[in-house]
Amino acid sequence: MIEEKIICIGCPLGCETTLKIGDQAEVVKITGYKCKEGRQYVVEEYRSPVRIFTATILTEKSARPLLPVRTDRPILKSKLKEAALTLVRFKAKSPVRIGQVILPNILNTGADVIATDDLLD
Amino acid sequence: MKYSDVDVAVIGSGPAGMAAAIKAKEEGAEHVLILERQEQLGGLLHQCVHNGFGLLYFGQDLTGPEYAHRFVEKVRDLGIEVLLETMVIRISGDRKLTAANSREGTIFLRPKSIVLAMGCRERSRGQLSIPGTRPAGIFTAGTAQRLVNVEGFIPGRKVVILGSGDIGMIMARRLTLEGVEVKAVVEILPYIGGLIRNEVQCLYDFHIPILLEHTVIQIHGEQRVKAVTIAKVDKNKRPVDGTEQNIECDTLLLSVGLIPENELSRMAGVDLDPLAGGPVVDERRETSIPGIFAGGNVVHVHDLVDDVSWEAEIAGAWAAKLAQKGDLGKKGKIILRPGRNIRSIVPQTISGQNDVTLYIRIKEMEEKVQLRIGAIYNQAFRVVKPSEIIKVNLLQKELNSLRGKTTELIAECEPFDLPA
Repeated sequence: MIEEKIICIGCPLGCETTLKIGDQAEVVKITGYKCKEGRQYVVEEYRSPVRIFTATILTEKSARPLLPVRTDRPILKSKLKEAALTLVRFKAKSPVRIGQVILPNILNTGADVIATDDLLD
Repeated sequence: MKYSDVDVAVIGSGPAGMAAAIKAKEEGAEHVLILERQEQLGGLLHQCVHNGFGLLYFGQDLTGPEYAHRFVEKVRDLGIEVLLETMVIRISGDRKLTAANSREGTIFLRPKSIVLAMGCRERSRGQLSIPGTRPAGIFTAGTAQRLVNVEGFIPGRKVVILGSGDIGMIMARRLTLEGVEVKAVVEILPYIGGLIRNEVQCLYDFHIPILLEHTVIQIHGEQRVKAVTIAKVDKNKRPVDGTEQNIECDTLLLSVGLIPENELSRMAGVDLDPLAGGPVVDERRETSIPGIFAGGNVVHVHDLVDDVSWEAEIAGAWAAKLAQKGDLGKKGKIILRPGRNIRSIVPQTISGQNDVTLYIRIKEMEEKVQLRIGAIYNQAFRVVKPSEIIKVNLLQKELNSLRGKTTELIAECEPFDLPA
C-alpha cells in the first residue's frame, strides 16, 4: 500500500494528512484531518490536483510588452510547466478584450487560455 | 469639474482607493475625485497576474487585472473624476491638499473629506542590514514581480528568496514557470510567513526547497550577486556558528514584510499606530483629524484584497456622509488595546453605536488558545498565526452594554485546553 501526504489548505491550521492508497489507486484510509471539509479537500486533491494557470504573453506593443492571461478553468498541476512553455510562442495583437480566448483547449485539457486584461490601441 | 467643488478626494486607485471612491459616489457624494500617481487606475493589481483575488468580494476566483477591471468600469460608469499621473505632495491638517502633474502644474484642493488609500510598500535591504557587498541583482519580490509581469524582464537565472511572504512565494512559482531556477526560500521563523495556500501551491507544487529558521548572513559579488551565505538561526534569531553554507545565485529577492505608506498622513498630522503601521482610526475609518479617512493597506496590511476593498468602502461611505452633512456626531470612545500575543487591532477605537468588524493580528504562532475581548467575546482556536488575520464581528447590541461604562477593551490570547 502506498502513502500519500497532502496538506490541507482550507484554513490556517494546514493539517498534514496521510492517505493510504490501495492497489486500484483507491483511497483506503485518511488520517490527520480535523474536519469533514478538510477530508473532502484532500480526497479531491489526491484524485485530481488542479490549478488555475496564470501567465503573461508577449504583445506587439513596445509600450505594453505583456498581456496577462489565465485558463478559464483549472488544469492538472502536472501540466503547468508545459502550459507555460506552450505560451512562449504566442504574441497578442491588439485589440484584445478582457475574457477573449487567446488559445482554445490548451494541451487538450479542455481549458481555454483567456486574456485577463484589455489590450487596446 | 472645478477643483474647489470636490466633496471627496481619494488618494490612490488600487483596490482600496477605487472601492472607497465608488462607495462615496453611491452614498450620494456629488464630486468624487481620485488622484493616482501612475498612468492608469488599479495600483499594484496590474502586476498581480496570479489568481486568488475576489473569492470573498465577488465569489469568483479572479486575477489582479480582472479584479481591477471590475472596479475601473464602475468608476467610469459612475462618473467619478480621475486625475492620473498626478502626485499628491502635501496634505495639511485642515484638509488642504496639494498635488502636481505635468499638464496643470500644481493643483490646490480643499475637499470636504479626504480618503487616504495609498496602500503599502515593501521592506527593503536597507531595513534588514545584511552584510556584504552591494552588487546588482538584489530586488524586493514586488519589484521582480513588476519586471516579470509588466515590463517583460527576467531578473536573473538562479534565485534565492529571503523571507516567505506571499509575494515571495508567488514569485517563486512565477519564476519557476518562466524557466528560472529558484534555489531556495529562506525563512528566519520556524514557519512560513504567508498564506497556507501559497505555501502549498507555490512552493510544494514545484518542489522548491524551504529552509526554515535560516537567514542570509552575507551577500557575495562585486558587479552582480554571485552567491549568498545562509546560516541556521537560534531561538533569538542569531546565526549559529558552523551552520553556514554558500548558495550560488545571481539574484536575491526579498519578501520580508510590507509597511503602510504614510508619508502624507504624517504630513497631515494624523495620529499613527506604530503597531498596525497606519493611522489610528475609529470604526468609520476616520483618522484623528475630522474629515480625513483611511482604508486598506495604508491602515494595516491585510491578507486578502477583498478585505482591503471592504475596509476602504467603510471609509468612502463615511467620507461621503461627512461631505453631505458636515458633521458625523461624536467619535468612538472605547479604545481597543492589544493584550497577550496580540500585535495590533483595527479599528483602534469604537463608539459602541454600530456593528463592527475587528481585524486582529497575532504576534506569534500559538496552538490551543482562546481569544478574549473584554467580557463580550470569547472564542477558542486550534491555532493562531501572524500570517492569518483574525476577523471578529461585534454586534451593536453586545457593545451597547458597554456604553458609558467602559473606555477600554483588551483583546488577548490565552492558553486554553480544547475538548478533544
